[in-house]
Amino acid sequence: MEIVVCVKRVPDTSEADVVITGKDIKKDDLAFEINEWDNYAVEEAVQIKEKLGGNITVISVGDEEAKEVIRRGLAMGGDTGIRIDHPALAGSDSMAIAKTLAAAIKDIDYDLVLTGAQAGDLGAGIVPVALAEMLGVPHATLAVGLDIEDGKAKVKRELEGGLMEVLEMDLPAVVGVQTGINEPRYVSIMGIRKASKKEIKLLDISDLGLLPKDVGEEGSLTVIEELSVPPVTKVAEILEGDPAEAASKLAEIMKEKGVL
Amino acid sequence: MDFELNEEQKDIANAAREFAQGEFDKDYAMECDQEHKFPRELVKKAGQLGFIGVHYEEEYGGAGLGALENTLIVEEMCRVDSTLGICMALPDFGCEIIKWCGTEEQKKKYLPKVCSGEWISAGIFTEPDHGSDITEMSTTAVKDGDEWVINGTKTFITNGEIADFGVILVQTDPDANPKYRGMSTIIVEKDCWEAADVGPKMGIRSTSTAELSFSDARVPLENLIGVENKGFYQVLEFFDESRIEIAAQALGTAEAAYDRVMDYIKQRELHGRKLASFQITQHKIADMATKIEAAKLLVYKSAWNYDKERKIDPVLTSMAKWFAARTAVEVADEAIQLFGGYGYITDYEVERIYRDAKICEIYEGTREVQKNTIASGVIGKF
Amino acid sequence: MAEIFVLAEHREGELREITFEMLGAAKYLGKDMGATVTAVLLGHDVDTYAEKLGSYADTVLVVDDPKLDYFNAEIYQKVLSKLISDKNPVVTLIGHTAFGMDLAPALAVELGLPLATDCIGLEVDGGKLFVTRQIYSGKVNAKVSLKGDQYMVTIRSAAFPVEEGTLSGEIVKEAVAIEDVPYRKFIGYEEAPAGEVDITQADYIIGIGRAIGDPENIPMVEELAEALGGVLACSRPVVDKNWLPKDRQVGSSGKIVKPKLYLALGISGAFQHVAGMKDSGLIVAINKDPKAPIFNVADYGIVNDLFKIVPVLKEKITELKG
Ligand SMILES: Cc1cc2nc3c(=O)[nH]c(=O)nc-3n(C[C@H](O)[C@H](O)[C@H](O)COP(=O)(O)OP(=O)(O)OC[C@H]3O[C@@H](n4cnc5c(N)ncnc54)[C@H](O)[C@@H]3O)c2cc1C
Ligand SMILES: Cc1cc2nc3c(=O)[nH]c(=O)nc-3n(C[C@H](O)[C@H](O)[C@H](O)COP(=O)(O)OP(=O)(O)OC[C@H]3O[C@@H](n4cnc5c(N)ncnc54)[C@H](O)[C@@H]3O)c2cc1C
Ligand SMILES: Cc1cc2nc3c(=O)[nH]c(=O)nc-3n(C[C@H](O)[C@H](O)[C@H](O)COP(=O)(O)OP(=O)(O)OC[C@H]3O[C@@H](n4cnc5c(N)ncnc54)[C@H](O)[C@@H]3O)c2cc1C
Repeated sequence: MEIVVCVKRVPDTSEADVVITGKDIKKDDLAFEINEWDNYAVEEAVQIKEKLGGNITVISVGDEEAKEVIRRGLAMGGDTGIRIDHPALAGSDSMAIAKTLAAAIKDIDYDLVLTGAQAGDLGAGIVPVALAEMLGVPHATLAVGLDIEDGKAKVKRELEGGLMEVLEMDLPAVVGVQTGINEPRYVSIMGIRKASKKEIKLLDISDLGLLPKDVGEEGSLTVIEELSVPPVTKVAEILEGDPAEAASKLAEIMKEKGVL
Repeated sequence: MDFELNEEQKDIANAAREFAQGEFDKDYAMECDQEHKFPRELVKKAGQLGFIGVHYEEEYGGAGLGALENTLIVEEMCRVDSTLGICMALPDFGCEIIKWCGTEEQKKKYLPKVCSGEWISAGIFTEPDHGSDITEMSTTAVKDGDEWVINGTKTFITNGEIADFGVILVQTDPDANPKYRGMSTIIVEKDCWEAADVGPKMGIRSTSTAELSFSDARVPLENLIGVENKGFYQVLEFFDESRIEIAAQALGTAEAAYDRVMDYIKQRELHGRKLASFQITQHKIADMATKIEAAKLLVYKSAWNYDKERKIDPVLTSMAKWFAARTAVEVADEAIQLFGGYGYITDYEVERIYRDAKICEIYEGTREVQKNTIASGVIGKF
Repeated sequence: MAEIFVLAEHREGELREITFEMLGAAKYLGKDMGATVTAVLLGHDVDTYAEKLGSYADTVLVVDDPKLDYFNAEIYQKVLSKLISDKNPVVTLIGHTAFGMDLAPALAVELGLPLATDCIGLEVDGGKLFVTRQIYSGKVNAKVSLKGDQYMVTIRSAAFPVEEGTLSGEIVKEAVAIEDVPYRKFIGYEEAPAGEVDITQADYIIGIGRAIGDPENIPMVEELAEALGGVLACSRPVVDKNWLPKDRQVGSSGKIVKPKLYLALGISGAFQHVAGMKDSGLIVAINKDPKAPIFNVADYGIVNDLFKIVPVLKEKITELKG
């Protein structure tokens, strides 16, 4: 099995104060990590390789710092890394990123491409399905189960309300992985040691046969015009005080509202 | 000059942090603290993932890395939790003596099992009457046929009750003058001693600290480590490496307090303002941040220096150790202060961190002993 | 006249709510763009759906074929690309749902259309379309422009209200030849196994989020739930990590609940979670982060560490309940 996994380095904003500057947010103080969905995708790739053998390429479009998430993928069990970087990529939308990834992946003799179902920062959920179309192969996204057998992928796709769709498709294919599909392992020191000896190829867009105008804002059909703090439609009444005070206020309110 | 960690070092720090964040649970830490419980299963997990003993060679189960990588792991783990973190750092205590001075058989027998988290070791030096001053030992080892016969009492031995083996410092030539020229290190296994817990202690309560008594304990002659009567020098060199680890513990512990207090001051409101908005708070935080940064530079530098062809610089190591330890105590102290009454309550963690911090100024050479080392290095004999 | 396409979504015998939400959004968009609204319905034996959609759209375009009985991204894509190429709608709206996420990006690539996903706002300015979407954990709104003059947009569930259906749209049947699909085969649906507790029936629910941190912390909240006479539910990460079974998950890919009280502990308030609990009677959130979006859904909030609040809250509740 020749597997390609796409990984993205994203800022963790779940508990952070987010400050808007121009068309992006201030990122200096934010901790970065591998996109949560991509962590599951890497684990899935490694589990498939452990079962069926093969080779895993971990690929990311991003600056120097993106090497960190590629190395993480290699430390978990990936074999080679590819990083794609070019100044012209700035301002790319998801489609332009998918285009870039497709240009790199088409030269690999792959059986399976795994991506996250979405990236936690921008959350477009576009790349896996767009990438498949660009590569001309079938896809399924929001996978919570994946079995590879006889050149086919049996995928369990998560729908709303706890329902799952079971489908089968021919390989090669692209699968967008949903969280919870497996239990990602910890990165081990042995893994890191091995990863440091593995190659991370750096590709420029010209290596992929792309021109600067194919990517970035020029090569994108959507453009971020403005960022703003979401208008507040409703705000909770905050119960102040130390834990005991706040808790007793809350208990009183619950009683008053008849839910005790 | 380059102050950047390399990529592998950053990855190691990240991996250690992820492991600790995923596996360390605050309630469990409190339970280990209150009930004097050693987190044995966590140590096994950490060992399997390679977090124990990265500074041993690969053929002996380590990762072939250095003191700096070990420092990063210990720092990150203690930063997530000072109580559980230190338990991940000390299972190989004393083994560096085997690494540097042991025979091939000794290294093969003991090091891999320690690195994998299966075995736990002890560094058995302190005696009731010889703590800071180990230039003389009351515990003796006498040759009898092909065995050493060991007698004496050791105290304050970390892992004493749970260790599978240990490295003991004993007097092998009682007539040597000065005495320290008659000391040796020997590997002893757990059936050699009787262990008794020293009783409840202030901090790092998740670790075992015991008094070990040896009465006609017999071990094969080949358990001697390195050259007979060179034990004192081996242990001094050992301290130059292990003090860096304790400095890393102190650094991580200081950061643990700092992280918690940073969270708190941004949430806590009084007089209608956030605690973080008071200038006095801001100055306290500025002090803490500066001390931590300074400690970090010293600790990393001493580790980096050690890794450079094992260049031993006791002055630098002692500076790192006492300064980081002091920083941990001071930062944890101020953290409690900023938490106010809550800081005094167990559930808010900073009082536990404070208690955990203090040991760094005592074991592996007290603060005073570190300063003696520095002074004699920079002033010379007076 | 220009047309706006709204792709109707249906599953297991029902038109899904998102369809009507999109039709509501399309109505206003149509006014601004001078366009009519066409509901596009793909399926098999779907006359009743078509009739129902007629009240919400100017036209209902139906493609009826046994191969469209179940959603299959590949077949849907083929049919839709044909329809869109033929009719050139100015905007095509698709739900940002499990169905739409699997379809829209490929369709947009095939047709070369700009695509904005997961949108919560639509706006026309100078004849151009601008959408609003949320990024960075829902803490930032991004206004995004789409190039060209034909667009594809996927719409977040519950972002637009359902309008009353007052139209009587014309139902137009369209035959599209569907060749056999080489790649992808629908096998069936599978329900998540049901557990011993049905959270949809509970009056009091305590929802725990990722912040619970460790399965060992669950008994503590269970005690609070007991004191309240309620049950434990959770956000998705708690299920992903196997700390609670899937049937306790609240949200778009879990259960929809409407208890008298929903107490959210350490839940950020991602829209997928909110979709499952926003209609609860009284909503209370406890979260460390004062900017967490959950506070825009909750009636009352406490900004603090949940581990500090839970034990005291349990005491107070027990006290007040006598
Ligand atoms: C204002 C702005 C500026 C930008 N500047 C840059 C820039 O300077 N450089 C740049 O490279 N990009 C840039 N981007 C692109 C952006 O960061 C995303 O990578 C891109 O929009 C993908 O969309 P998404 O994250 O929503 O992907 P989704 O479709 O939500 O992601 C799904 C999956 O696709 C894969 N994936 C997504 N992004 C990548 C990636 N970068 N590499 C590998 N796999 C990936 C992952 O597996 C992920 O789980 C910019 C975007 C904007 C809006
Ligand atoms: C929890 C814990 C774990 C430990 N683990 C181990 C272990 O695993 N292995 C081991 O061998 N030991 C261990 N120790 C022992 C520890 O290293 C000693 O306690 C320490 O070295 C101090 O020795 P002491 O207790 O005898 O104090 P003393 O040497 O009696 O010191 C008393 C005071 O005198 C000061 N002092 C001593 N000499 C001088 C001087 N020359 N000038 C000025 N002041 C001086 C000291 O700084 C101290 O303030 C541990 C101790 C504790 C508490
Ligand atoms: C297709 C799809 C379907 C999805 N379906 C669902 C679904 O059905 N249900 C669902 O829930 N999610 C769903 N998700 C996931 C969703 O996007 C979010 O990732 C998820 O809801 C986040 O869960 P959380 O709020 O528990 O965690 P986080 O977003 O990580 O939030 C944790 C919160 O806890 C707070 N916190 C941390 N520590 C403490 C403390 N000690 N005390 C108090 N507060 C603390 C933090 O400030 C933060 O706000 C879905 C995602 C996708 C892509």
